[in-house]
Amino acid sequence: MSSIDIGIAVTIILLIMVMIGMRVAFAAALAGLIGLVWIFWAKKGMAGDQFFWALTVAVKTAGQVPHSKISSQALSLIPTFILIGYLAYYAGLTKALFEAAKRWVGWLPGGLAVSTVFATAGFAAVSGASVATSAVFARVAIPEMLAVGYDKRFAAGVVAAAGTLASLIPPSAILVIYAIIVEQDVGALLLAGFLPGAFSAVIYGGLVIGLAMTFKNFGPPVGGFTWVQRFKSLPGAFPIFFVIAIIIFFVYNPFGGDAWGTPTEGGALGAFVVFLMALYRGMRWKELKSALLETAKLSVMIFTIIWGVLIYVRFLGFADLPGAFSEWIGSLEQSPMLTLIIILLAYAVLGMFMDAIGMLLLTLPVVYPAVMALNGGLDVSAADSAFGMSGVGCAIWFGIIVVKMAELCLITPPIGLNCFVVAGVRPDITVQQVFKGATPFFIADALTIAGLIAWPGIVLYLPELLLGKS
Amino acid sequence: MSGATSILVDNSALSKIDRSLHRLEEFFALIGGIAVFSLMFLAVVSVTGRHFFNSPLPGYVDWIEQAMPLIAFIGIAYCQRLGGHIRMDILIGRLKGRPLWLAEVVSCVVMLILMMLMVWGSYAHFERSFDFASPMWSRDSTLDIRLPIWPAKLLAPLAFSVLCLRLVLQIWGYGAALIRGTNDPVAVPMIEDASTVAAREAETVSGFDDDEKGSNK
Amino acid sequence: ATEWNVSVWGKRRAFTENVEKIAELVSAKTNGEFTLNISYGGLSKAKENLDGISIGAFEMAQFCAGYHEDKNPSITVLELPFLGVDSLEKEVQVSQAVYSHPAVVADLARWNATLLMPTPMPQYNIVGVGDAPKSLAAFDGLTVRATGGIGAAMSTLGAIPTSVPAAETRQAMDSGVVKAVSFAPHAHMSFGTVENAKWWTTNLNPGTVNCPVVVNTDALAALTDKERDALLGSVDEALAFYIDYYNNQTMAKWGPLLDSKGVERITYDEATLASFREKVAGPAASAWVEANNARGLPAQELLDLVQSEIAK
Ligand code: NA
Ligand code: NA
Repeated sequence: MSSIDIGIAVTIILLIMVMIGMRVAFAAALAGLIGLVWIFWAKKGMAGDQFFWALTVAVKTAGQVPHSKISSQALSLIPTFILIGYLAYYAGLTKALFEAAKRWVGWLPGGLAVSTVFATAGFAAVSGASVATSAVFARVAIPEMLAVGYDKRFAAGVVAAAGTLASLIPPSAILVIYAIIVEQDVGALLLAGFLPGAFSAVIYGGLVIGLAMTFKNFGPPVGGFTWVQRFKSLPGAFPIFFVIAIIIFFVYNPFGGDAWGTPTEGGALGAFVVFLMALYRGMRWKELKSALLETAKLSVMIFTIIWGVLIYVRFLGFADLPGAFSEWIGSLEQSPMLTLIIILLAYAVLGMFMDAIGMLLLTLPVVYPAVMALNGGLDVSAADSAFGMSGVGCAIWFGIIVVKMAELCLITPPIGLNCFVVAGVRPDITVQQVFKGATPFFIADALTIAGLIAWPGIVLYLPELLLGKS
Repeated sequence: MSGATSILVDNSALSKIDRSLHRLEEFFALIGGIAVFSLMFLAVVSVTGRHFFNSPLPGYVDWIEQAMPLIAFIGIAYCQRLGGHIRMDILIGRLKGRPLWLAEVVSCVVMLILMMLMVWGSYAHFERSFDFASPMWSRDSTLDIRLPIWPAKLLAPLAFSVLCLRLVLQIWGYGAALIRGTNDPVAVPMIEDASTVAAREAETVSGFDDDEKGSNK
Repeated sequence: ATEWNVSVWGKRRAFTENVEKIAELVSAKTNGEFTLNISYGGLSKAKENLDGISIGAFEMAQFCAGYHEDKNPSITVLELPFLGVDSLEKEVQVSQAVYSHPAVVADLARWNATLLMPTPMPQYNIVGVGDAPKSLAAFDGLTVRATGGIGAAMSTLGAIPTSVPAAETRQAMDSGVVKAVSFAPHAHMSFGTVENAKWWTTNLNPGTVNCPVVVNTDALAALTDKERDALLGSVDEALAFYIDYYNNQTMAKWGPLLDSKGVERITYDEATLASFREKVAGPAASAWVEANNARGLPAQELLDLVQSEIAK
């Protein structure tokens, strides 16, 4: 067997292990290890007395990966972003944001639902986790919407959908993971998430207003707030603006001159501000300890998948499968855009059954080089490329689209996790009802993705303007 | 996808060992959490040093690199005990009783074999950086302030060994359920449907809001 | 047919042309019977290439001594500041003399590695943002990406060596983590550090980094005589090709690039440089000898070897 055949065989073994319910991190590590043994043994002609040698070399090669790949400064952003999210709950930011949004945009048609969308988008700027964001807003926003007569399906759907904004708007652990897997600048990807996140929030908001104007009895606007009341609602939400400002200043200094530090430092400083706010709001050791344990658990879960998948990636390096797959994709006699759309549809199907992080980590090592090759390679100029953007630009653009795809899967049946979370918080609302309520947002997301493909500038404007990356 | 789950407890030896090991695992996980917390302070010190005192923290990157294995590995058994390592449970979730316990036993045995090999491989990685004859016993050190790397490399086989212990316990737990045909085995995470998982997730992030509501009344 | 895997990192650039060339020569000389598959980062992280060689995961690799002094203390003698090497040819000659010293052979044998050839690089110089250090005193408090002996030299001026992976230097500069980066010209171009730079030191010449290409000793022994001759017999030609490429392709682009980016060239006068050398070179060499005597290396002998080769 050629090394590429081995690569394909092991990839099939991996997919089977994942589908029958083996934990993703360990399935990937095992597949990588089996593949390495196979490759090294094949090199010695599969001679019986060489098996132990092959096993030893494979085990030692795999054994390097966890420490070697994990000890990097860029990866330290992930636990920091997770910690910010947990601290944000204790800092009371959810209610403060919802209250502020209600006073400022509640007068619009469908005002409370619009407020939910924008409060969630604001909260997304301190939280990196979509599922948890939906969970907290289900508690804060749904009761108020029901109290003024919203349809409960719709009230639940808007919360489930708006929660998905958390992974696009920085800080976002999933964008950091993408940046590291594809070896692109973390800061550029975080900046790139801002506008698409805002774009997505505006489309959600517009959809809600449109629905409210179309259907009678949708839910009344909530008005009558004075400007004084509006401005009084802002200080509670202040840490959000502070965190956004810090992250911007640590990627790019708007006043000119050097940025203030790395995104890593910016993330940590943001966490520190939210930590102080939580202390002020009454967080003590008991709450801090549970935040630390949750952070540790979620971090270790993500890092285990990362090193597990990287063992598989190390094997792919020896098998040269990504290279072969890119060549094959490049040789297809169809337009690169059609191929890209087929790849995205495959993600939509896969995402119905898989967790976003697991899905991206498992597929990107093979899919990413292929997409880059479709565009014309890593060093291609915008003029010579298939998608009209440079290699670096394509890497950033594809990252944002793929993350948005993964988020879309959080509200699609059968395993749309955000919908389950909302139904879990509200025993009076069934999962089917939440899925039904989220359906309009599914269409809005499809439009958003089409928009990001049609106007890549939405993704690339900020990184190009501020970092000169395109 | 499965997240955190409840673990049943009784007076059996298995359950007692499970809870003792869990105390160790939780202690390790807390160290990991505190390491994340320290990264936060390290950044504050580094940034203030650079901007206000014109003296960057020497070895900032070195310390981050040393802290990362602490965050990434040390809680691995804690996470496994709570069923926190994600998987696709769409198929396995449909099984009940003995077929389910059989599937879980097989899955744990495969993981145990993998992790024993990983203990071997990561220990070999540690060993190459360790040398009794060298200064600080180090054959590999960080670039700026020359911290020996072997302690960080040793964390991987250490954490993986604890995970192996945890897997042995889970094989015991699922194995006992398989033999007895019980529906509620102790000491192992159970697959729960998505809404139960979701309710639990919501609970972990919004307990504080409730406390607050209570105090306002 | 024999197939070797070769682990290098980054992308194809001047720095990897000796490896690319030797692969081409070996394949041609053996009619494709012996091939080298060069992998750019797929097989190992740069800092772990020696580990991979010792495991036997791949048969050939490139690494830099300064990435891990403890792993290869003997060849760090070639990274001492202000040795006075003034051409790539000289760098090759001195490196090869050191590589064949028995203590060095034994040092690398701990990793089951045999030194094949050097990757000669010109003297490092510094590219930076912010105010240009017109005098040596201006280096005080400057954060600079510099490893090994160059890092040591910079810290005697009060600069703060800060380690950043080569691939992240541009980001580190843009974000103010480091104000300056020391590299050879090809790396300044490859890693984009010139893009936003304000100044470049033309003649600080604090030293260079030594990056050998090694092979797995067992794999070398397992080659047929014909294959081994093809490999070892191609070293000189690969190095000659590399030097020509570096001097005539890379350096030819360097000056115009500095001009097009508007980078200010800073040239220090001979008196300044002499005082720098005096302050750094002697103490660094004696500190190196002391530290490596403690490791059981014939440190003074290695230093003498280097200096006598340079004087030739
Ligand atoms: Na976010
Ligand atoms: Na879904």
